[in-house]
Amino acid sequence: MRAAEHSQAMHFQARAGEKVRNPVLQRALQKAKPLFVGKRAKGIAALAEDGLAFEPLRAACEEIRNRVLADLDVWLAIFEERAKATGAEVLWARDGDEICDLVIDVARRHGVTKAAKSKSMLSEEAHLNEALAAAGIRPVETDLGEYIVQLAGETPSHIIAPAVHKTIDEVEALFAQEHGRPPEPRTSADIPAMTREARQVLRQHFLSAEMGITGANFLIAETGTASLVTNEGNGRMVTTLPKVHVVITGIEKIVPTLEDFATLMRLLPRSATGQTISNYVSLLTGTKRPGEYDGPEKTVFILVDNGRAALLGSAYQDMLRCIRCGACMNHCPVYFSLGGHAYGWVYPGPMGSVLTPLYTGIENALDLPHASTGCNQCGSVCPVRIPLPKLMHRLREEQVERGLRPWSESFGLKAWAWLAGKPKLYRWFARRASRYLNWLADDSGRIRVFGLAPGWTAGRDLAAPQGKTFHELYAARKRA
Amino acid sequence: MTARDEILGRVRAGVGKEDFAARRAAAEAYMAARRRGPQPVIGGELATRFRAKAESLSSTVEAVAEAGEVPAAVARHLQQHGLPSSGVVTSDVAAFDWASSGLQLSPRPAVDSDLLGISGCFCAVAETGTLMLLSGPETPASVSLLPETHIALVEVSRIVATMEDAFALLRSERGSLPRAVNFISGPSRTGDIEQTIVLGAHGPCRVHLILIGA
Ligand code: SF4
Repeated sequence: MRAAEHSQAMHFQARAGEKVRNPVLQRALQKAKPLFVGKRAKGIAALAEDGLAFEPLRAACEEIRNRVLADLDVWLAIFEERAKATGAEVLWARDGDEICDLVIDVARRHGVTKAAKSKSMLSEEAHLNEALAAAGIRPVETDLGEYIVQLAGETPSHIIAPAVHKTIDEVEALFAQEHGRPPEPRTSADIPAMTREARQVLRQHFLSAEMGITGANFLIAETGTASLVTNEGNGRMVTTLPKVHVVITGIEKIVPTLEDFATLMRLLPRSATGQTISNYVSLLTGTKRPGEYDGPEKTVFILVDNGRAALLGSAYQDMLRCIRCGACMNHCPVYFSLGGHAYGWVYPGPMGSVLTPLYTGIENALDLPHASTGCNQCGSVCPVRIPLPKLMHRLREEQVERGLRPWSESFGLKAWAWLAGKPKLYRWFARRASRYLNWLADDSGRIRVFGLAPGWTAGRDLAAPQGKTFHELYAARKRA
Repeated sequence: MTARDEILGRVRAGVGKEDFAARRAAAEAYMAARRRGPQPVIGGELATRFRAKAESLSSTVEAVAEAGEVPAAVARHLQQHGLPSSGVVTSDVAAFDWASSGLQLSPRPAVDSDLLGISGCFCAVAETGTLMLLSGPETPASVSLLPETHIALVEVSRIVATMEDAFALLRSERGSLPRAVNFISGPSRTGDIEQTIVLGAHGPCRVHLILIGA
């Protein structure tokens, strides 16, 4: 199935309106934003204690990621060779459908009836859970946030905090239903007890699942290793207990050496949650060794394209540096007004506004590259220096080049260009327009409904122009 | 065409370069150089730094002068906190005289019902207050994962400054990576319900470290 068929990105405007008017969502978002921003700021500031600074460190991270992308064919060959040498199987998937087919095939070969999953954004790209369920294999999300989202029958609204849009009352209702008990009134003091309840339920799934499915934060070429970074420990659980481990990652996730991995680890957790390090950082290489009791007997890597290779050598190659830290969305005013679901596909926020059109088709996500205030907060926090606003701008240009903008917009711009070339007519028109706007405005000088573009004033007022036009003032000044 | 050949073909087209062999040799040379990025400057004693960082990540730490004091220190800690005194231990530290301090420890992998897991560590990283554990027949990963309480023994002489130093030690002592290298920094945690941090998500709820030779 093509990714575009699952994308809701074309409904961005309608969904955005819904989200802005949803008070429960707005409460959840307003609570989260200062926490995200404050924690990262502290984490980055703490670098100075060790004589480190953000800029040289992010330059180093950028360089590592660029080195891999510049010769990705070579690095993939090295990774594949070395991963196979450790006893792992390396498979390749062109798209989401192929991911599903491969995972189901591995599951059938090993008699798997239940798969415990640690967070994997690529399995969201593939809609793997639906495919597994249809094949009679039960997928269980084990990251607490993903578990909540799975119970709700929703998708994650944030790449590192999947349930950031859910309030405690909503979580309680889901737990009560799934865990077969009556709902209770809950306050934040009950969050430890609720977490414990989920721990007990999920522990049984870890113990009984025959397959663990994870993504990988990085693939290390030197050693053929998958690295997993988690706080909860679910990544460790699903790679220690089940007999099969499937790693699903994008082909761009390679880093050359353990040293490069260590460098990236100085910025990944700090950018994501402000932590100097995440609680569990695991490097997984091959399968259970002779004499070992735990660990998988079978390890399978699924290396996925799904639109990535096409970005190599394009104007968007920089986007492939992304290490999925979430900092760009955590600092985005648009993200925090709408939440992640408004973006309509797997990746929200600024990185989603670039990736969704690129992976699902520019024509299928026309609004996303416009979902920006141009403030460049995202670009300035990105640990691998991805110029996100520039990439969004390039996507907008491409929409125009390919004639994908609505006729009213291109007509309006053409009409303005024609008018601007005729000074006398322009001045006459500006005077008329200014009077028309004044006539539309109410007593406070605000326009509630703008006749030419009523949608523009659906969620805001337009201030009516006050007094004379610029040309009138300029002329008066020159006379004085 | 197989998916592999098709994807690699697209990657080659995107990369847009010839001379695969020369580029591969350059990549090998880059890996062999083990170049490090910007390194932190860690002033003072590594053990002091390690301890401060570990405590800031919600681990508790006790220092003892020599290995012989370990079993009594562990027993005291468990008693003070009302924690069970039986559980599992990794074989590398099974030889301590645990029994004389009243601890019943089995040298085996952990199961769900084990409430206490005691392990050593390969080394520890001062920069972040982190333990580095290697999986193996003697050191099953489940011991530091399934029980609610994890106690780790850390020899001060095995504390290195950075993760890069830990990798260097691993290469020189072991040559290659075990199935799992686990860097552990405090008890497991989550913030997924309303961004409220709770300790003990899926792994241990508490991590206690005994520094030996401080
Ligand atoms: S684009 Fe940059 S800031 Fe955003 S998730 Fe990717 S790496 Fe992080």
